[in-house]
Amino acid sequence: MKNLRKLPLYLFAVLAMGFASCESENPEEENDGEVITDVTLNFQEVDASNNPVGSPVSFKASDPQGIEVGSSPTIQPVNITRGKRYIMTIEVFNSIENEDITEEILEEADEHQFFFLGPAFTNNIMTIAYADAGGIALGLRNLVTVSSSPGTNNTTMRVVLRHDLNKSFSGASNPNFENFVQAGGETDLDITFPVVIN
Amino acid sequence: MIQKAVLLFMILLLPLVNVVAQKCELVLRGKVLHQENDQPIEAAYVWILETRTGAVTDQNGNFIIRELCPGTYTVTVQYLGHKEIRQTINLSGSTTNQTFKMEEESVALSGVEVHGHRESVQTTTAVTSLYGEALLQSRGESLGESLKRIAGVTTFSTGNTISKPVIHGMHSNRIMILNNGIRLEGQQWGAEHAPEIDPFLADEITVIKGAETVRFGPEAMGGVILVNPPSLPVSKKHSTEINLLGASNGRMGNFAASHSGGSGKIAGLGYRVQGSVKRAGNVQSPRYFQDNTGMSEYNFSGSIGYSSKKLGIEGYYSFFNTEIGILRDSHTGNLSDLVEIIANGEPFNKPDFTFQINNPRQVVAHHLAKVKAHYHLSPAYKLNFQYGFQLNERQEFDRRRGDLNARPSLDLQLYTNTLDLFLDHSRNSNWSGSLGINIIQQANSNVPGTGVTPLIPNYDMINGGVYLIEKYLKGPLEIEAGLRYDYRTVSAARFIGGELQEADLDYQNFSAFIGGLYQLSPYFSFSSNLGTAWRPPNVNELFSQGLHHGAAAVEIGDPDLNSEKSLKWVNSLEYEGKRGGVELTAYANQIREYIYLNPTGETFVSLRGTFNVYEYLQANALFYGLDLSGTYAFTDQLNGYFKGSIIRAKNTETQTYFPFIPSDRMDWGLAYSFGKETHRVTLSNVLVARQSREPEFDLAPAPPAYALFNLGYNLKVKIAENQLNVGIQANNLFNTEYKEYMNRFRYFSADMGRNILLKLNYQF
Repeated sequence: MKNLRKLPLYLFAVLAMGFASCESENPEEENDGEVITDVTLNFQEVDASNNPVGSPVSFKASDPQGIEVGSSPTIQPVNITRGKRYIMTIEVFNSIENEDITEEILEEADEHQFFFLGPAFTNNIMTIAYADAGGIALGLRNLVTVSSSPGTNNTTMRVVLRHDLNKSFSGASNPNFENFVQAGGETDLDITFPVVIN
Repeated sequence: MIQKAVLLFMILLLPLVNVVAQKCELVLRGKVLHQENDQPIEAAYVWILETRTGAVTDQNGNFIIRELCPGTYTVTVQYLGHKEIRQTINLSGSTTNQTFKMEEESVALSGVEVHGHRESVQTTTAVTSLYGEALLQSRGESLGESLKRIAGVTTFSTGNTISKPVIHGMHSNRIMILNNGIRLEGQQWGAEHAPEIDPFLADEITVIKGAETVRFGPEAMGGVILVNPPSLPVSKKHSTEINLLGASNGRMGNFAASHSGGSGKIAGLGYRVQGSVKRAGNVQSPRYFQDNTGMSEYNFSGSIGYSSKKLGIEGYYSFFNTEIGILRDSHTGNLSDLVEIIANGEPFNKPDFTFQINNPRQVVAHHLAKVKAHYHLSPAYKLNFQYGFQLNERQEFDRRRGDLNARPSLDLQLYTNTLDLFLDHSRNSNWSGSLGINIIQQANSNVPGTGVTPLIPNYDMINGGVYLIEKYLKGPLEIEAGLRYDYRTVSAARFIGGELQEADLDYQNFSAFIGGLYQLSPYFSFSSNLGTAWRPPNVNELFSQGLHHGAAAVEIGDPDLNSEKSLKWVNSLEYEGKRGGVELTAYANQIREYIYLNPTGETFVSLRGTFNVYEYLQANALFYGLDLSGTYAFTDQLNGYFKGSIIRAKNTETQTYFPFIPSDRMDWGLAYSFGKETHRVTLSNVLVARQSREPEFDLAPAPPAYALFNLGYNLKVKIAENQLNVGIQANNLFNTEYKEYMNRFRYFSADMGRNILLKLNYQF
């Protein structure tokens, strides 16, 4: 076999090629597109016919580094007044990517839903109803009513954003649905806000 | 420790050496090999003229002739196309071990068959192979599932589609898988990363249960799995094999074909092409379908080789490609999601059957190309060269928001070059060995654009090793020892929180082993192997920092981790009688600075909720256990078999148990053959105990014990010169609902329900 004499040469060529192609790329910085760094609850007081009264107040939960070991979120207490009605809107923002996630949630309203839990609701201190445009159960816009006799000045409200759930699951249309996990999907947000009632 | 072990070994052997039978109970045992390449010859005929008794060599070239009286005999060895060997042998001790090397009569002679390039595994450690009928029965299963047929091998799985083989309690980077002689380099650190290999390319899968770092390089701590394709034909002979499989569960369809042939013009030139496709939909547990558990796979391999008296050369390429759906419910957003689903014990989503694969899913492609050559410098020396190139591409897609769904959350490219150069010698039939160098070079890159901070950094790794193995074979005894030195350097870089983080690390280690095999009596043989092994920490163990998406866990690595070092002692006693055989393997594996993921007990709070925090720690560990297997022929028609294994694994510093260690299990069955062995009915029963040795922290308690029954029917038909095998199997016959401790998805779902498979195999 004449060809075989050149064989070591070929082998070497293959080898050289293989080894040369093999160096890792320089790492690139990855911006977390998924992360939510700021959640703002805007409370706008409304009258009996749902017309705004005064100017809105905002309460914010933020974690500038997203899900990163070593940092913990700052959560502002929610200040509301007994016996009043509010339209509460939620804004969700990714400050790492400088991206407003509220719009995305609205676009994917069929895959997302907010649930509102905790003693604020179980103890009848507050009541909440979805008030999103089109009557959908989403929770970016809600009507909140504060009891005129809450019996306490301090309580907590847990805000949960679920993603990829079965929205037609029995009971899931209730914003206070405790067993939201049974509707499937996973949690994008789970924040407990302290609530101060004036 | 080594001294003690050797001493113990000697003490064990001494009384046995003295018990030399003077009656006609002597044994002639040995191996028949090709002289030109030391490969085993199957079906060679070994005949003793005086006694008119003989034997035919098995697949590994081994033969045994029993019940010989002391005396001098004339032995002949015959094999088509090879010069007959006629040798006088004096039998006096209990057992005589003899290797015969057969020389080809003439390469030019047509019809001569020289076996291809399969190197037989020559080790004194416990070795078990899956081939022939057993392999045929495993067709359609993943590599991990197939290997469960071997005692002491279990799986560590993620649902019913991803399974990793576990040898004596070790998996992932603590064992090694060789695809046609090249160490498979994928992202094996991940629990949900199955080996990237098509079991259909093999005609033999071998498991070595010892610490084989010396021979195969670092990380071969718990054992080695060799996936070997058949040897290439070297004469003008064509053969084709087709496999067609269907399964009721997941409506799985699997097709595989291979064709091999030799050149009529150039003697010694042969080729093979092989491919397989597989498609399956949602897996069905007894009461529900598991959401998003479909898979699709297509694989291809081809090889071409030339072999002459002095030179052998082979080129090989294999491509593996798979897309696997991950159980939807296993992907949890935070700890309370996880706690809720575990409390529920089964998925919240119970959809209908579908073949559709959605996120979360994995897409993995693996290319492997190799060139291998050997050259006989002289009858006693052979020079071997092997070069392998691998590219592993892994993409993992999570459930995300909007357009991000189309982007993988993890996108890795791993290049690996391996180079082996070694010199084999066999000076006479007593001494043989090899001296070699081995270089592994690896580059791992995160493909940018995932929108997720990478779990592991980009890195370059170079590992160089030198080794020497010597073996001495005389009479009933076979002794083997080896030594190896390795040096590894790793340089890693990545961005964490906007800052470039770099690390340069290096590791070095000496490893060694000593082993022996002794034929105690005509029916008993004993082998013992004591070996050290090491494993440098993996990049994920060093650098993990942050959320493990979907697992609701924050994992923290430690760049200061040291290499794990182990000492494994494997002893095996084998009995092979007329009606059956028994094999008992006992082992102990002591590991210093075993690396494990430990729950810190702390939780981490974020806007998404809380997560458990885990950290990588090191502690001394002890693994020990037993594997027992046996067969017995009650009558010519009725055969029985059993196998079982027991493993104990303990953190010897805290006296606690490690998670995901297989519980005690056994498997037994009966096979009834009739109609000249063309029909066979098999009934088997798998018994798995509850893992009562649980770690202090687990998300859920170990599931209860379970028992499964399987029923099978096989039919062998000759159609002209061709062979048709038909198999019908019903696995989990009674549709028992169970959870396996070694399945990570036991937290979320019951295991697979009844599965009825139809298997057709046609060889022509």
